[in-house]
This record gives sequence, C-alpha cells and structure tokens, in this order.
Amino acid sequence: MEAVAQQIPLEHFLVLSAILFSLGVYGVLTRRNAVLILMSVELMLNAASINMVAFAAYAAPERAVVIGIVFAVFIITVAAAEVGLALAIILRVFRNRGTANVDEVDQLKW
Amino acid sequence: MGMTDAWLLPVLPAGAFAVLVLFGPYLPRRGDWLAIAAIFASFVLTFPIIADLTSALAEHGEEFVGAANSIPWLEVPGNLELRLGVHVDAITVVMLVVGSFVALMVQVYSLSYMRGDSRYGWYYAAMSLFAASMLALVLADNFLLLYFAWELVGLCSYLLIGHYSHLRSAAEAAKKAFITTRLGDVGLLIAIILLWRDTGTFGIQEVIAAAQAGEIRTEVLTASVVLLLLGAMGKSAQFPFHVWLPDAMEGPTPVSALIHAATMVVAGVYLVARTLPLFELVAGGPELVLAIGLFTAFLSAFLGLVMTDIKRVIAYSTINSLGLMFVALGVGAPAAAMLYLFTHAFFKALLFLGAGSVIHATERQDVNQLGGLWSKMPLTGVTFAVGAFSMAGLPFLAGFWAKDEILVGALENRVAFSFLLLSLPVTAMYMTRLFILTFLGQAREPEVAKHAHDAPLAMSVPLALLALLTLVTGLVVFDQVGRALGFPGGIGELIFLGEPEVFHFDTGVAAASSELVALGIIAGWFAWAVRPELPQRAAQAFRPIHAMLVNKYYLDDFYQAIIDRVVLAGSRVLAWFDRNVVNDTGVDGSALTTGFMGYLLKFQQTGKLPNYALAMVIGVVALALVAFTLKT
Amino acid sequence: MTVAQGIFYLIAALAVAGGLGVVLMRSTVYAALFLFLALLAVAGIYILLASEFLALVQVLIYGGAVTVLLLFALMLTRASDLPETMVGAQWPIAAFVSLLLMGLLIATVATSNWPGDADGQITRLFFNELGDALFRRWAVPFEIASLVLLVALVGAIILARQEEGE
Repeated sequence: MEAVAQQIPLEHFLVLSAILFSLGVYGVLTRRNAVLILMSVELMLNAASINMVAFAAYAAPERAVVIGIVFAVFIITVAAAEVGLALAIILRVFRNRGTANVDEVDQLKW
Repeated sequence: MGMTDAWLLPVLPAGAFAVLVLFGPYLPRRGDWLAIAAIFASFVLTFPIIADLTSALAEHGEEFVGAANSIPWLEVPGNLELRLGVHVDAITVVMLVVGSFVALMVQVYSLSYMRGDSRYGWYYAAMSLFAASMLALVLADNFLLLYFAWELVGLCSYLLIGHYSHLRSAAEAAKKAFITTRLGDVGLLIAIILLWRDTGTFGIQEVIAAAQAGEIRTEVLTASVVLLLLGAMGKSAQFPFHVWLPDAMEGPTPVSALIHAATMVVAGVYLVARTLPLFELVAGGPELVLAIGLFTAFLSAFLGLVMTDIKRVIAYSTINSLGLMFVALGVGAPAAAMLYLFTHAFFKALLFLGAGSVIHATERQDVNQLGGLWSKMPLTGVTFAVGAFSMAGLPFLAGFWAKDEILVGALENRVAFSFLLLSLPVTAMYMTRLFILTFLGQAREPEVAKHAHDAPLAMSVPLALLALLTLVTGLVVFDQVGRALGFPGGIGELIFLGEPEVFHFDTGVAAASSELVALGIIAGWFAWAVRPELPQRAAQAFRPIHAMLVNKYYLDDFYQAIIDRVVLAGSRVLAWFDRNVVNDTGVDGSALTTGFMGYLLKFQQTGKLPNYALAMVIGVVALALVAFTLKT
Repeated sequence: MTVAQGIFYLIAALAVAGGLGVVLMRSTVYAALFLFLALLAVAGIYILLASEFLALVQVLIYGGAVTVLLLFALMLTRASDLPETMVGAQWPIAAFVSLLLMGLLIATVATSNWPGDADGQITRLFFNELGDALFRRWAVPFEIASLVLLVALVGAIILARQEEGE
C-alpha cells in the first residue's frame, strides 16, 4: 500500500458515477428490447462500482481500501451471473412469445 | 356402587350416543344393540342406588335430604364457581327408575317397530342421547346442569318428532314443539339467573335453603317462581302451551311413548316438585300451579271425546294426566304427584306402544278406519284395555290408586275437588270410546283388518311387561307390599318422600271416584258400542260446541293468527330492513364500491414492464427527494 | 489543469458518450458497441484510481465476456432485425425523472462533506495485498460468490436449453 499523488478531487468521480447511473435509469425506462434494458442495467452497476472504488481510494488508508476493491470484485461477479441468467430468461421468453420486446409481453394484467 | 356414583347412569347412554354417531354405520345392525345395552346397564345400576338410598333412609330417617357428589366445572376466582354434580334422593330415584325402564322398553320395542327405517341408526343415537339427557336432568344437583339437560331433551324431542323429515307435517310439528317449549325455557333461564343473582349459587338445595332463610328478596322470588313455572308449563304441555303435544304425535310412536308420555313431559312436574319449597314461600304460588293444572286437565278431557286420531286421543289424555299432576303439586301433595307420575309412565307408555302396535299392523291411525281388531290382535287388545282403563281410573289398576291419592290430597279444596270429580267420567268416557272404536264392533275397513296380526316378540314383550306393571304398581301404596319386597318402611315411603303415614286411603273418596268412572265407562259403552248413532246426533244437536272441540278451542288458530299478524308482520319489517338497508346498502353497497374502485384501478395494471419500472423509479426518486430535503 | 485531470476529463467524456449511445442509439448492435466503449472507459477510471487489477478484470469480464454474450443474445433473438423505438409516450417522463435523479445525486455530492484528502491523495493497493485479502480474510464470501455464479450458470443452461418438441 502506498500513497499516490493525484490531482483529481473525489467529487469528480462521484459526479461521473451519478451521470452514468442516471443514463442507465433512463435506458431501463425507455428501451423496448430486453437485451438493451440489460445493457442499461450494466451501466448502472458500473456507476455503482466506480463509487465503491473511488471511496476506497480516497478513504483514510489501511483496511478501507481493501474492502472497497473487494466489493467491486463481488459486484462484477454478481453482474456476470445476472447477465447469464437474464439472457437465458430472455431467450426463453423469445422462444415462447416470438419477441424480446418487453412492451409486447403484457399478460400480467387484469 | 352407591348414590354418589349415580353420574354413571347418564354417562353410559351418552357414550353410546357418541359411538353411534361416530361409528354407527360401521357397526353390525347400525349399533342398536349398543344403545340397548347402555340403557339396560343404566337400568340395572339404579338398583344398587335404590338399595343405598333405602339403607340411608333407614339410618337417618327423615333428616336425610339426599346424597350429592360434584366436581368443579368452571371457576372465576372470587366471583363464580360452577359445579357439575349429581344429587340423589327419593324423587330422583323414582324418576331414574321410570326413565331408564321405559327407555329400555321403548328401545326394545323399536327393534321391531323401526326396522327397515332409513334412519334407523340415527334413531337409536338420538334415543341414547335422549336417555342420557333425561337421566342427567333428574340427577342434576344444580340449576345450570338441569337447564343444560332440559334443553338437550328438548333438542332430542325436536329431532325425534321430526324423524320422518321427508313429511312436511313432521317438520312443522317438530318446529312447533321446539319453539313452544322454548317460550317456557326462556322463563326458566331467566328464573335461574335471577335466583343466582340473589344467592350466588346454582345449587338447587342451596337456593332452596337460602330462600327458606329469607335471603332472597320477595319480589325476586315471586318472579323466579312464576318464571320457573313457565318453564315447567312449556315442557309439561300445560295450558296455554299444550298445543305442541298433540302435534308431536307426528313422530314415531315409540318416541311418543318415551318422550311425550313417560319422561320428558313430566320433567316440568319433576321441576316443580323439586322446587316446591320455593313455591310454598310465595303467596299464591301453589294456587297458581293448582289453577293451571286444573284448567289444563279439565279442558283437555273434553278434547279426547272428539279426536279421531288414536295417538292424538292418547296425547290429550297425557295432557289431562299432566294437569292432574300439577293439581297434586298445587294442593301440596307432591307425593301423590310423584306416585301418579310413576304409574302414569307405565300405563301411558303401554297405551302408546299398544297404539303403535295397531298402527304397525294396519298402517292406519284414524279410529274411523279401524275397529274389529280384538280377535285379530288379542294381546294388543288386552294390554291396550289394561292401559286405557288404568287411565280411566278403574279400581285396582295403577291409575286408580294414584288418582285416588290426588283426590284425597285435593279434598280440602272444594273447587278443585269438584272439578276433578267432574273430569273423571269424561276421562273414562273417552278412553272407553277409544278402546271401542279401535278394537270392537265391525271393521270399518275389512281389508285392513283382515291382514292385521299381533306384534312380533320384540314388541309384545314390552307390552306385556308394561301391562303387568300397570296391574301391580298401584299396590306399592301398601306398606306391607313394600316391606315384603325388602324396603324398610315400604316402597310407599320411598315415593312418599319419607312421610310415615304413607297411604291415606279414603273409602268415601274411592267409592265416589269409582262410581263416576263406572258411570263414564257405561256411558261410553252405551254411546259408542250400543247406540253408535248417538254421538253423531249429539254432535248435530250441539254443533257449535262440537265444532269448538274439533277445532281444539280454536287455540291453534288463535296462535296462528298472532303469529301471522304480529310475529310475521314484525318479521317482514325486519326482513325489509335487512334486505334493503343492511344487505343492499350496507353489505352489497360496500362490496360494489370496492368493486367499482377496483374496476377503475385495474387499468393502472397495463402489464407492460416499463410502466412498472417507471412507477418504481418515481417512487425511489420521491423518497430520495424527501431524504435530501430533510438532510439540508 | 494537470495532465492527470486532462486524462480524467477525456475518459469521463468517453464514458458519458458511451452511456448516451447505449440509451439513445436506434440500432441495437451500435448500442452494444457503445456499451463496450463505456465499459472500457470505466476501466480507465479504475486505472486513474490506482486499481490496475480491477481495470484488468473490467476489460476481461465486461469488455470480453459480457459484451460478447449480449451480442449473441441480440443475434439469437433477432433483435437487430427490428428497428428499436422508444416505448409509447413514456420517454419525456423518463427523461424528467432521470434528470431529476441526476440533479439530486450531484447536489448531494456537492453539499456533502467528504472525508479524505480533498486535493486528491489516493491510496494504492498492490496485487499481493488484494490477493491476500481476497483469499484469506474474505475467503468465505468469495466461495459463496463463486457458488452463486455456478448456480446461476447451471440455471441459465437449464432455462435456455432447447427441450424436445419445442
């Protein structure tokens, strides 16, 4: 562990993360194709990861750094699992209903 | 097996009931043998109790007030303690013998009478439940248990009257019996609560002791006594509640013999006899009982003259007898009442079972369709005659001795005495009429009479046993007989509640009553056997009176009118309120509102995922906004 | 503006451009390629935060595996054949809500008092230290995570398998 001089303030990373997250939310709300919705979710997950790593780097030294990085690793792991599973589900839906567009799969109503 | 173990008596038939209800269909013969075995065991077990009682009487003499045994049932510390227990004394024992023996006879009789009935198993289950409740009723040491059993016998009566539930008339009769007796039962319940409020106990002996010590306020005591009497009148079919008993004849005949002759209907007499000390504390209490009994006995006697249904005639004679018992209680001769109850149970059950035998053989119960059965059914005829003339009060049959006791008891009350004397020939006359029309003369339907035959063994044996008892039970009034049977002081003393001068036979009274009964029988013989056209002419001559009698004094119509005008009218108002306000506006209205809201809201459910996601995000952002506002 | 800051703004601009492409591009394949761009930019951000290991992981897993998987899914569902259009009239509301969310987050960042060195003193973690932490201290969660991954993949295979008669 060593201290590195770095002229970028923490807030810059946080603002970038906020922008990416909001873009992801917008994508989830407006995209029709389930695969694209999944991509937007990935964007949101990455935004969260940036937050974790930035906090870890800027936090007071010692153990907090490790926790942040480990957290990011886990997020990536879970995201991979999620992508695999979600794609399988999308494939199922596509086979059953002939479409992967979420607005055409609307049996869940009155 | 002593008096304190008497709780076993009702428990046995109750257990039989439980087994029959749960496993009846899987038992051989639907379990009738189990019901009979249970009631037989109860009957046998009364003998050790009698022996125990007689030895206790011999030991303690007149101070003996009965043996009790109870367990705590429910307890509210400091406030309320309910106990469950039995109390055995002379009255109880009389009722136990009557109840268990007649129940046994009737159940044996039913083996044949009810054979092939589609609800045979249920019939025996209900019979067992009835036997259990009746025994519990007479054994109860507190009003609460008594009331519990009181309602249970009412329920059994309802179930058994309506046994032929496919007949509308049976269903109606069951309903009528239940509701009419309920009217009195409510009185009984209020009386029990009133007495409890002033004494803090439900125990019958405790309440009587408290009343005698003057711990109950006079007005409360008066009200309770009147209400108690109301309950007794409902159960014992006293005027004006008597209307249910003739209709109750819709049930199977053995049921009539057990419930509506020997046991349940005398529960009212038992209740009054049990609480007679309370009545004596109230001014006019005994007189009220006397008046009701007299009125009932007198009115019902005439109805027997015109009824044509064999069972209904016997039913009116039962009301007549119950009236006599109330008279005996009213004049302060509970011993006479209990003696009459004792003998009446046997000869009235005999009459009903005889009638059942006739109905079984001919499938007719209107006397105008019967007649000429004497040679076809000799055993039924002879036993029926014994029962009928015992009811009429012919000397040396059971009814004679018992009725004589009541007459002697009423001797001091001129009015009651003369009315009683007046009713004697009438009773004798209609019993004679019933016998003649059923068994003598020409068969009015020869086809039916030709195939008539005496009853099978299961029915004949109870008939013969009851007839035998009817011949001899009257003799228990003689001390010598009792002593010979091994009861110190005679059976008489047992029934006579320990009064030493047990049998006050008055030759004058006996002679007068015998003459009147003979007069009635001869008149009946003359009117229906010698000059059969005479009754019709009399009916023509006194048309209004005849019509009044046939219509049962228009009481049923009067009640029906009250029900139609008052009860049903009120019900219609309530029904309208219930339908329109409670149901349509309240229940349906709120449901409709909810449904309409749901209809409006369901369009929010588009089924499209992005819409749901948007709603979620809006919620999250709104929460974030709130959190941010609170933070800064 | 230092060199580091310049590099940051460049990478940040690339990331935002990638994000915009993901959510706005009409063609689904182009959107997937823009996602690839955004993910690579995020890897650059990790390097700026002195986490070379994470940057490597990001490129390997996201840039390699996930993007390829997404492209395969697009191909299998024939999504690229259809023009991707927005859902109904929802996009203005979605845009407003997203902007509101962004404003809220930035305002929160701006108004908060962050610990640590304000002028950018960061702590660097070496590979061996990370490995030590991951396989000693966090060994159990790590194993659980791998189990989750295994289960998810088995489930995915079962779900996506072509059954007889389908």
